[in-house]
Amino acid sequence: MKSSKMEMSEKRIGYLLVAPALIIILIIAIWPVIRSFWISLFDVRLNDPTRSQIHYQYAVDVEKVAQIYPVLSKNLRETGNKSARDTSTQLQEIRQEVEEIKGLMDKNKKFSKQYEQVDELLLNGTPIPEELKFVSVDQQTGEQLQKRLVAVQNQLKKLVEQKKLKDDTLYGLAKGLSGAMISPNFIGFDFYKKFLSDSRMWASLGNTILFTVISVFLELVLGLGIALLINRKFFGRGLVRAAVLVPWAIPTVISALMWKFMFDGQNGIMAKFFELIGIVPDMGQLLTTKAGSMFAIIFADVWKTTPFMALLLLAGLQTIPQSLYEAAEVDGASKVQQFFRITLPLLKPAILVALLFRTLDAFRVFDLVYVLTGGGPANATETISIYAYKTMFGQLSFGEGSALSVVVFICVAIISIIFVRWLGTDLVSDGRRK
Amino acid sequence: MKKKNGPLFYSLLICFLFVVLFPFLWQFIASIKPPIELFGEKAFSFIPSQPTFENYKRVFTERPFHVYLWNSFVVATLTTLYCIVVASFAAFAIARLHFKGKTIILGIVLAVSMFPQIATLAPIFLFTQSVGLTNSYLGLIIPYTTFALPLAVWNLTAFYRKIPVELEEAAKVDGASIMQTFRRVILPLALPGTFTTAILVFIAAWNEFLFSLAINTDEQYKTVPVGIALFQGQHTIPWGEIAAASVIVTIPIVIMVLIFQRRIISGITAGAIKE
Repeated sequence: MKSSKMEMSEKRIGYLLVAPALIIILIIAIWPVIRSFWISLFDVRLNDPTRSQIHYQYAVDVEKVAQIYPVLSKNLRETGNKSARDTSTQLQEIRQEVEEIKGLMDKNKKFSKQYEQVDELLLNGTPIPEELKFVSVDQQTGEQLQKRLVAVQNQLKKLVEQKKLKDDTLYGLAKGLSGAMISPNFIGFDFYKKFLSDSRMWASLGNTILFTVISVFLELVLGLGIALLINRKFFGRGLVRAAVLVPWAIPTVISALMWKFMFDGQNGIMAKFFELIGIVPDMGQLLTTKAGSMFAIIFADVWKTTPFMALLLLAGLQTIPQSLYEAAEVDGASKVQQFFRITLPLLKPAILVALLFRTLDAFRVFDLVYVLTGGGPANATETISIYAYKTMFGQLSFGEGSALSVVVFICVAIISIIFVRWLGTDLVSDGRRK
Repeated sequence: MKKKNGPLFYSLLICFLFVVLFPFLWQFIASIKPPIELFGEKAFSFIPSQPTFENYKRVFTERPFHVYLWNSFVVATLTTLYCIVVASFAAFAIARLHFKGKTIILGIVLAVSMFPQIATLAPIFLFTQSVGLTNSYLGLIIPYTTFALPLAVWNLTAFYRKIPVELEEAAKVDGASIMQTFRRVILPLALPGTFTTAILVFIAAWNEFLFSLAINTDEQYKTVPVGIALFQGQHTIPWGEIAAASVIVTIPIVIMVLIFQRRIISGITAGAIKE
């Protein structure tokens, strides 16, 4: 019997001890997932300065305006003075318009103040601090500014096309000035809608499922076989167990490279072997055809993770009391009957846990495919994680890539829920009996 | 039930071992072949006619492989140390103390350990970029927490639960406070389990690829997996050097596995199998 005071302090210490881990997990793992979802609702592109981050509102890039506006205004006047009459009038009108636009910007007190500061900093050649770079404007002004800047840009473009201007300097400057307008890049669920009809997304999802189902199934069957094989006393048992651990312990990248070398179409020994025994008609086809390369990544994955599966199942097998088999023997049950009536049912929890871990691991496969095939040939082995990575770091389209990564997350969540339903809450229950 | 293991058993076993170990053997052979024997006629011969350690030398002289090794070592060690410390407190509380919400907390830990890394990559990358942590050790240690900490908490909890309650109760009777019990009784008893968990976390951090690929792109901060994966040759993939680098990385793993195999196996199965 404990006093309630003791009870209180134990509770408090418990929460206190768990808190650091929980807070770190919350900040470093859970928050980013929520953030990923949030980013996926915006068209964020790192290669486009006006969309390189999330913009909730219209904004003006003060630095750009301060750099371009004076030059544009001056050039418009000078070119206007040198040009033929009708062009000159047009340029003057444009100049007036540009000045009016600037005037509209200046109506925003914050803008005019920041503009002066930035202008001075630019004169001195000092870098502009982040907080001075942008000024938010309300939606009405923002839309108006953007429309008018684009109109100016188009007018100048027309003049260039009509050969009324010698070069496109003015057009370039005007284009730069409209680039100073930052519009909100919230697009809601547009990326998700796009993916619904994106054949590459469905193909990558299909590849991922195909890879997961086949490799996990093979790993389970082979792993169970190996576990049954080594679940006994024999000479060199420790050595076998150590050998089994090595593929699991080496980096996936290393195993992927080893297999890439052995699957090589000209010099790969495994490719040659597969050709000899007739798995592929020609060794060059292993990494150049869809079926061949899918086979290659599944093979490499099975090689690397079957040992892990075998170890988990072996540990499960060792918890089955030997007396059950002895009793079955006495009752005259055959080995096959023993396997289906005793081993399998009692091993079921271990199998399900191993399946859960392996399925999730296989579903988020990245390293192996990235190194072994790069998703090729022609996206034939592209998994959804690879597609998301390429969208993010190849095209620098972070909003779109995040949407894909959210899809991966949802799939993983669904798979986990199904397994946990199957397993029950047994997985996390307190081992301490009341 | 007990019977002699026949020749069938041993031949199956040898087949299995051959399949598991062949890639390593082949990798070793490739690493001591001169480049010319990696292609063409000699590509499939098991015995290099002119064995050489040139590839091993080139990995360190032509490429900054020692830099990769050092980076991986620093990042994996620091990740392991800090995660084990934080996780030890949490695991002790979850395994040993009575308070509400333990099941939920453990559920969260398990759920987070199943998160696909790609789902956290964009925000973490944007964060490291905005605070200037790309190409730094901290830039990897922070994201590595996403998998290392749940793994550590989960495994340590399983180990702590196995420690007999009697010792703890005896300490309580002697008037030890909860923190004293933790420090004097539980921690020493859990040392083997803690060590095992540390090995698993270290391996996971050492092998990590995705975050490292995205965040540390500078040659000076690349880790081993990314460094090797991005080995470039002038015309072809430098297989000889890749093989040599793989062998260098694999040897310590083999030694570690030989020494700690029992621990590692108990670590892998601790969280998964209920006894």
